[in-house]
Amino acid sequence: MNDYTEAEVQRALAEDLGVAEQGITVVRSDAGLVLCGEVESPHRRDEIVRLVHERFPGIEIAADIGVTRAAAPTEAEELA
Amino acid sequence: MIRIAAVGDVHIDRDVLGRFRPALEELPDKADMLLLAGDLTRHGTEAEAKCVATEFGGLGVPVIAVLGNHDHHCDEVPGVVAALTDAGITVLEGDSTVVDVGGTRLGVAGVKGFGGGFAGRCASEFGEPEMKAFVRTTGTVAERLGAALRDLDCDVRVALTHYSPVPDTLAGEPLEIYPFLGSYLLAQAIDSAPTALALHGHAHHGTERGRTPGGVRVRNVAHPVIKQAYSVFNLAPEHVSVPTASGN
Repeated sequence: MNDYTEAEVQRALAEDLGVAEQGITVVRSDAGLVLCGEVESPHRRDEIVRLVHERFPGIEIAADIGVTRAAAPTEAEELA
Repeated sequence: MIRIAAVGDVHIDRDVLGRFRPALEELPDKADMLLLAGDLTRHGTEAEAKCVATEFGGLGVPVIAVLGNHDHHCDEVPGVVAALTDAGITVLEGDSTVVDVGGTRLGVAGVKGFGGGFAGRCASEFGEPEMKAFVRTTGTVAERLGAALRDLDCDVRVALTHYSPVPDTLAGEPLEIYPFLGSYLLAQAIDSAPTALALHGHAHHGTERGRTPGGVRVRNVAHPVIKQAYSVFNLAPEHVSVPTASGN
């Protein structure tokens, strides 16, 4: 794991059309990589982890990726 | 009172269909229109745009959108726009539309926008053709946004972009990528007309609130930022502060 691998992972997440995520932060840790951010579905979170495992075998991945909440707002912002 | 709902960066594909719909069913009770701030699709296919049309069409209130960079990725923009338009969604790019809300005319001018950075740390139209083309692209779309805002015949103006007009709402993003997230030229265009509110997306790690140098309120409505189906902004026209135009 070095700078080049980190860059390759970041680019793969954006450029692979099965993922196409630009909002995932890739952070190196002692154990491997930590992927942080939010996506629109659990399926996309799974695809991200699968892609990184497949393209970068042997790298430990911790995925702290959430699914963005999509509830109706409970209040409005008053712009007076 | 004008009630504006807005969200961007919803990145719809088949796997997301239906997620927003329960909240959208409540939208006509909470807002008079919905503005979509780009990155509606995952990577810009017509099939994804049809999913957007299914999710955000037929709401019972006007839906007005700009596209984002993701919506351009597969070079299917005409098909994407057609799918949205067929569902009654108005797609803006350098133009505007006016919605009558109880006798008050709300005008929305929109462009996708582009990058380049912000005052003191921005790209210049200098050097290689690729660099000049990059900066010129932003200049051109910003001019179209400014003209669309100034030409609007309405009571209240709202600017809708995907890229950010200000750095304020990027706080949380790495500083190194600010030039890819927006341009001060968009703010200058917004400040060239008495704009009441500017809405954008694109910066998933950014923050919600900012202001242009001319005092126009800016809100980042990227879905990962607002963490709800949409935000609602209540504008009271009689209280809307009209900042002095500082751009040109």
